[in-house]
Amino acid sequence: MTQNISPGVDVPEVRPSVKILDDRCAGCQECVVRCPTGALSMDSKRWVALEDSTLCVGCRQCERTCPFSAITVEGPMMVGPRIESFPSYPLDFVGDTHEIRSGFTEWTEVLAETDRCLQCPDPTCVRGCPAHNDIPGFIAALRHRDLGGAHEILARTSIIPDICSRVCNQAAQCEGACSWSLAGGTPVAIGRLERFIADSREVPAPKVAHTPEPLSIGIVGSGPAAAGAAWDLVEAGAHVVVYERDQTPGGLCVWGIPDFTLADDIALRPWRQLERAGLELRCEVEIHVQDFDRLLTIHDALIVANGASVPLRLPVPGAELDGVVDATMFLKGAKAALVATGDPQTFRATMGLDGLEEGRRGHVLVLGAGNTAMDVARTARRLGLTATCIDWLDERFALARPDEVAEARHEGVEIRFAHTLTALRGETGRVEHADLARTVQPRADKRPSVVTDDTVELDVDLVVMAMGYRNDPDFVAALQGTPIRRERHGVPDRRWQASGILANPASAYANHNDVGALALKREIGLWAAALPVNERIWAVGDALTGPSTVVEAMAQGRRAARAVLDASPARPEVAQRRYSKWKPRVLICYESVGGKTARAARDIADGFAIHGLVAKALPISKVDTRALASADCLVVGSWVEGFVVAGVGASKSMRTWLEQLPHLGAKPCAIFCTYGISPKGTLDEMRRSLEAAGAAVFAHAAFGPKELSTVGGVFNPESFGGELAGRVATWKVASVPVVA
Amino acid sequence: MAVAIRLRPRQREGMSERFATSDPTPGWDIARHPLAARVLHNRKFQFLLIVPNQIVFWTVIFVGLFGTSIPGLNFGAAITWYVWFCLVFVMMVVVGRAWCAMCPFGGFAEWIQRKTFFQRTQKTLGLGRTFPEPLARMGFIIPVVTFLILTWIEEFFNIAGPGNPAATSFMVIGIVATALVFFLTFERRTFCRYICPLTSVIGTIGSMGSVAGFRTRDRDKCVSCETKDCMRGGDDGFGCPWYTWPASADSNLYCGLCTECYKSCSDDNIGLFLQKPLTSVVAPTRRRADVAWAIVLLWGLVLYQQFNALSIYNNFDNWLNTHLHFPHYPNPVAYLGLIGLLALAMAGISWGIAALSARRDVHFERAGGFVDRGSKFRAYFVPVSYGLIPVVGADYFARQLPKFFKSAPRVIPAAQHIFGFAGTNSSLYNTRMLSDSRIIMVQVAVMCLGTMGALWAMWRITNRELVGVSRSALVVRSATLGLVLACGAVAALLYVAIQAAN
Repeated sequence: MTQNISPGVDVPEVRPSVKILDDRCAGCQECVVRCPTGALSMDSKRWVALEDSTLCVGCRQCERTCPFSAITVEGPMMVGPRIESFPSYPLDFVGDTHEIRSGFTEWTEVLAETDRCLQCPDPTCVRGCPAHNDIPGFIAALRHRDLGGAHEILARTSIIPDICSRVCNQAAQCEGACSWSLAGGTPVAIGRLERFIADSREVPAPKVAHTPEPLSIGIVGSGPAAAGAAWDLVEAGAHVVVYERDQTPGGLCVWGIPDFTLADDIALRPWRQLERAGLELRCEVEIHVQDFDRLLTIHDALIVANGASVPLRLPVPGAELDGVVDATMFLKGAKAALVATGDPQTFRATMGLDGLEEGRRGHVLVLGAGNTAMDVARTARRLGLTATCIDWLDERFALARPDEVAEARHEGVEIRFAHTLTALRGETGRVEHADLARTVQPRADKRPSVVTDDTVELDVDLVVMAMGYRNDPDFVAALQGTPIRRERHGVPDRRWQASGILANPASAYANHNDVGALALKREIGLWAAALPVNERIWAVGDALTGPSTVVEAMAQGRRAARAVLDASPARPEVAQRRYSKWKPRVLICYESVGGKTARAARDIADGFAIHGLVAKALPISKVDTRALASADCLVVGSWVEGFVVAGVGASKSMRTWLEQLPHLGAKPCAIFCTYGISPKGTLDEMRRSLEAAGAAVFAHAAFGPKELSTVGGVFNPESFGGELAGRVATWKVASVPVVA
Repeated sequence: MAVAIRLRPRQREGMSERFATSDPTPGWDIARHPLAARVLHNRKFQFLLIVPNQIVFWTVIFVGLFGTSIPGLNFGAAITWYVWFCLVFVMMVVVGRAWCAMCPFGGFAEWIQRKTFFQRTQKTLGLGRTFPEPLARMGFIIPVVTFLILTWIEEFFNIAGPGNPAATSFMVIGIVATALVFFLTFERRTFCRYICPLTSVIGTIGSMGSVAGFRTRDRDKCVSCETKDCMRGGDDGFGCPWYTWPASADSNLYCGLCTECYKSCSDDNIGLFLQKPLTSVVAPTRRRADVAWAIVLLWGLVLYQQFNALSIYNNFDNWLNTHLHFPHYPNPVAYLGLIGLLALAMAGISWGIAALSARRDVHFERAGGFVDRGSKFRAYFVPVSYGLIPVVGADYFARQLPKFFKSAPRVIPAAQHIFGFAGTNSSLYNTRMLSDSRIIMVQVAVMCLGTMGALWAMWRITNRELVGVSRSALVVRSATLGLVLACGAVAALLYVAIQAAN
């Protein structure tokens, strides 16, 4: 095993050293299995970890992953400096839409940067990436100059590496979660390595599998979520129809991200490839929620990926004046104006900026300082306007990428953090002045407070509200549970904890974002994407989670596509024919402490087995969203907790689990409980919780000591399983049965 | 799509050899019983164990401060020194760390640290620091030193006499306050593992107990476990507050019986095992030097406490106090000097056995840090010290008996006195359960029992760990068993001598 230190970098005099606290090391090997350099091994005699500091590179993964804080690393991080590249600004911004950020151009740079990667056995960068790209995998391929292999590895998780590498905020995702970053150092330039792969060789087109009777899937919208879903479905041989209300596909990637960040040619690449692979693209077709029923008669399933398209507006006095527009209107218009055939003057006139006094360039006030606001302000500069962004957050807690803010400032955009708009004024019916007040925000989790006696007036010619977007209320009403709340109670996923990504305080490189917490929040969206929101309807991307990121949406789209392929839904007219040999998959989820409920669950599974159906029994601690998504029918069982006089109910763990269930999209569900004296309202309580999660409860049973001890002849768990199996076997597809 | 994880393979080589001798019998897992499983899974279980003790100890503080100044009639002083200390030793010898599971000091501080009485909370109160590594490296040495200091304070102020009952209250307040400071500064039960004066006594003497603690049911499953909920915490339980992994525990040394690992494990792979008495003394293959030093220091302390009851020591102490201008008994130089000398004498004897017996062709590998065996001296000293645990335990227990037999009934009138009933004229106040001569007989009997236990333990330890590295099995067996007999005899004779002196 070699130490990872970039070529040409001198080995420092002071080396990192590992100290293992023999008294507390339990020999669990969590550090040993994760050490990237093999500096840790096991002492089999004493059964404690053994260190070899000569191999240590100071990445501190062991420190982060030791459950008992029994290991410390001191000394420098043995990694070479990151190969940086700097933005290339044009001499004159006006009318120039060339890409500002550049990637690696030389293999020497690429190889030097790949040398900085530790190839961590439990790579936190992979968890930090919303799509879970195999980052060490493609970096290893790059080390061997294997672009094809790198593409192949990326294709497993991402269909848009060219887009993601340009628009992702890597500092809060993969790079922020890089081991070096978590240790307080500078991460590997993962984004630029990904971009090098995508720019050096075109992303491979989808490989279409041929199926005798393809699924027909309708997708509403054509943003990154839709592209992700369409890609996997097309590859699986499904007939996919995409409905897009604009003239061109691409959604926000095309109209929302200016060319100087993401050129249309790159944003449209997946759609070109998908169309060539057989995808049917129907542009200028707007789908409303009323159309869902009609679409479900012609498609086997519908994937709603229409994004969060309703701009947020600040309700201040004067917001109704002329010259107050939203970011969508501005960006769409500006994009058309800045193309080679566009007419910036007409756009300026549309925005009411044609009648300005001589010598006055037109001043745009942009509300917000997130990435969209930066795009608006920088686009305004390219239209020859001056721009000021205001955000009520303190700069320390700003939402925009730090590099984006720096670039905007370099381009002459004035950004005033800790300011908010209190009123807009204009005597001619058009906005002329903006009243701004200072705000104070001491902590990131604290809402800024407005200092009302500290105001300034700003002369403005146009106000663009770019504070963000929200979901279309009609769609929210039609798609139950959307947008989901990306909050999870209880202990975070333990595999994530074990990786060490959650152990560190927020990384300085990640602009003090807690990358682990952010990644886990994104994971909730990814899990939820696998489950339908209504029968045969899946929601993905912003439509599912509210405003999020391009990569997250793409990953959700792919996750939903796989769930659709796994569930194989069918519209009524083909269901009978297609699924004549279909056997529903049953998942029995139970919570047991003394073993009775576990035994009852196994007996119920036996009941299914007698009828030729396979039922899998799992304790709830092992039931993840994937297991839920791949089951056609759920059976949920718990032991009964409490005393008859003081109130009884399902066990605490079961109640917590039920509370945290994702939306189950009308999944059929049976419930049971085991009790000692009386179940009282346990089943009703479980039914209510499951129905609140969108399940359709169709059967229930309570088993007391008598039922649990009888074998054959009378009603017991096995006969309950048999009864359920009899009912489930009559279903032709996974559908909501008549509740009995 | 699974996340691309390529963990290195986990090592299993050497695992079965390392734990074969100390693994409990699978059939002795009481958590297999459905009712026991339900009780142990219940988060209120430990809370309900702590609450009664909590009530008693706050009563001790309150009554000690504001109750009668007659020690025997003050409930605080009476229950602490006539009953509690003796019961703690009984629990140690029978169960192990049962007291730790119900301890009101740690329990109270842990409630505050976790911000709950029994629920599984996600965020803790306090700084959550890691205990400084150089101090943590000392293992049992700090707790044994705090025990020596506390005992000296107790002797100096005659707290356990019992003397002034308020002193008992101040001592309890002091322990609770120290515990609270440590719980709010450091993570988990750092106080209990590294500081608590009782932890060294319970940890060493408790290894005679018949509860093996929470251990893995299938070690292979634990090694493969990707989440280690028992260490990091799961949905239903906190990560082990004692820094113990049930899969690598080879004794009940650091199992606080708090049930958290049992509750956390999502694989139901942890059980609560019983074991034969003395198993945790005999079975572990990884013996610890810090524990060995703790044992000889504790042995030194208990012998000192017996010795100081003799008039010869009183004369010596008075002489030393006069020359060192120290106010009164116990002179710290004599206290620490004698304990240190006795501990060093034990170490010297072990060194002597090593020098006499060790084979010249055996290379004693220098491995591990302070807590491990790493030299010829330690290769003998550590197992020999473990073999003495039953003698030390029996001696501590025997030393508590006079107070118990003479004064335990006083607890009832003392309790009544809180409510204004009873007094020094109460019949129970003046009742003795046994006469002095019978107490001596019981003490000698306890020492005989302890010595027999130690002989058996030392025989097993010597055969397994020392015979192989010694030139003559007969010599090493004679030396170690002779040491046990000598220690037992000295302790028993000292009890007789104390009685004679009285």
